[in-house]
Amino acid sequence: MSSIQGKQLEGIMYDNSKQFTAIAVKSTSGVNKASISLVDRLWALNDRLLDWYGIIFLIAIWEIGPRRGWIDSQFFPPPSLIITEGINMAEKGELLIQITSSLQRLFQGLAAALVVGIPFGFILGGWFPRLTHFLRPLLRLFAQLNAFALFPLFVLFFGIGELAKFAVIFWSCLWPILFTTIAGVQGVDPLYVKVARSMGSGRLTIFVRVLFPGALPSIFTGIRLGATVAFLMLIAAEMIGATAGLGWLVLNSQVNYVIPRLYLAAAIIAFLGMSMNYLIHFIETSVIKWKETVEV
Amino acid sequence: MSHDRKKPTFSLLQHTDKLSIVLFFVVWELLPKLGGIVETFIVPPSTVAQVLYEMAKSGELYPHVSISLFRAASGFATAAILAVPLGFLLGGGFRTFERLVNAPLRFLGQVNPFSLFPLFMLIFGIGELSKGSMIFWVCLWPILFNTINGVKAIDPLLVKSARSMGTSVFTLFFKVILPAASPGIFHGLKMGCGTAFFMLIAAEMIGASSGLGWLVWNAQINFQMPQLFAATVLISALGLSLNLSFGALESRLVGWKQKSATDNT
Repeated sequence: MSSIQGKQLEGIMYDNSKQFTAIAVKSTSGVNKASISLVDRLWALNDRLLDWYGIIFLIAIWEIGPRRGWIDSQFFPPPSLIITEGINMAEKGELLIQITSSLQRLFQGLAAALVVGIPFGFILGGWFPRLTHFLRPLLRLFAQLNAFALFPLFVLFFGIGELAKFAVIFWSCLWPILFTTIAGVQGVDPLYVKVARSMGSGRLTIFVRVLFPGALPSIFTGIRLGATVAFLMLIAAEMIGATAGLGWLVLNSQVNYVIPRLYLAAAIIAFLGMSMNYLIHFIETSVIKWKETVEV
Repeated sequence: MSHDRKKPTFSLLQHTDKLSIVLFFVVWELLPKLGGIVETFIVPPSTVAQVLYEMAKSGELYPHVSISLFRAASGFATAAILAVPLGFLLGGGFRTFERLVNAPLRFLGQVNPFSLFPLFMLIFGIGELSKGSMIFWVCLWPILFNTINGVKAIDPLLVKSARSMGTSVFTLFFKVILPAASPGIFHGLKMGCGTAFFMLIAAEMIGASSGLGWLVWNAQINFQMPQLFAATVLISALGLSLNLSFGALESRLVGWKQKSATDNT
């Protein structure tokens, strides 16, 4: 879901800068340079800011509405109040504990899924195509199981401690990573492998130089999908049974009826989710430099 | 692929891929027979089927299934009715308006639904409305964004050539724009349906007194292992059949669209 959104967002940003440069080029070629470029520059600035007007307007309404009594301030506390709450909590050091414990769980689960999913994907996709064919329906069955419905089972098997939460996160990001790795390996052009082999490169070289780079874009898609699902499940797992973490913070604020803190936790979760997407995208673009982007 | 077709083993090969599922069920059936701690934690599928049959026969199961399906369907339908026209509006024309509302919509779409669930409960109460609005919320975004993408991805050449042939706006919409955007819309509906079912179970587990999610929750609290397994299996079966029927519907309605390699996840 969010990977599509990320791509979309990026596309729009790209669009924007193109328009901006186009306008800038036009303005310098004008006859009356000084006046036209100023107006054009203002227009270009307006064009750049256009994407932000909506969100600024929303925040302004949100700030003014509860203060003027247009909206119930108990249910919709203004953003300034939420930020004050955030600063208060950050000063006490409470906020950092929740964020780090959530992120720690997330990265443990994600790392374990990567360590298991990618080698298995390579082995299944690269060396045992028959076995993959044989196992695919079962693996797909597992992948489509509702991770939330499985949570009580995980709790029964692994107890109510960290292990159950780890298992849920691991489970929910394992499948997308495994499937995209298999798809990536099988999607590598056989010609490349044959060419490499005909030039006398060994198995290791073929793997490191041909198969792995060829499958990497697909693997990154899996990582992004897996991280999104993992983040969702993390918050859910923390809401059901935990004593720390952002999901717990949400639940705790609800139970104690501290509405600004509830909004704060929701905003931090959204922010972390977005920045995680951008981080993975950043790693992807800096690792995969050779891939040409296709504009649709 | 091609050498498989020549051999007579081809039909056999097609059936071997179902074998892994059969094998899984056989292992699952035999595993509790080992005894010990495994026996208390793993309920064999035969017992699960028996429990399900008994629950269905006593009429205990029917209200839970129907209320769960009703919640999912009502939230999904409301989201689809609102999101598809809105997506057309935002995707086609009104460039400036789209850019104005795009950022807030993306941000709202990014917000984790679980963290919003307490808010929905505070605003809409703990009744049906909060669960319905929760499912509406999670369905809305995939349908909306995929409709926008679908409308935007329409080849302008198609629209231009239709217009140059003098088609009316009405015909243009129903003969060109709607069919061309339908793969995107359908993808969104499929994703929305999957998320709706997922969140439904979550919402029912967090706060409900009936439904399939509640059934799981209740079984866990009372440590009724057979019921817990039965409810989990039932939820999985319902989710799988929902996915399969949506896939079948998609291939019938938008069958001309080519599949991409990453679709199989």
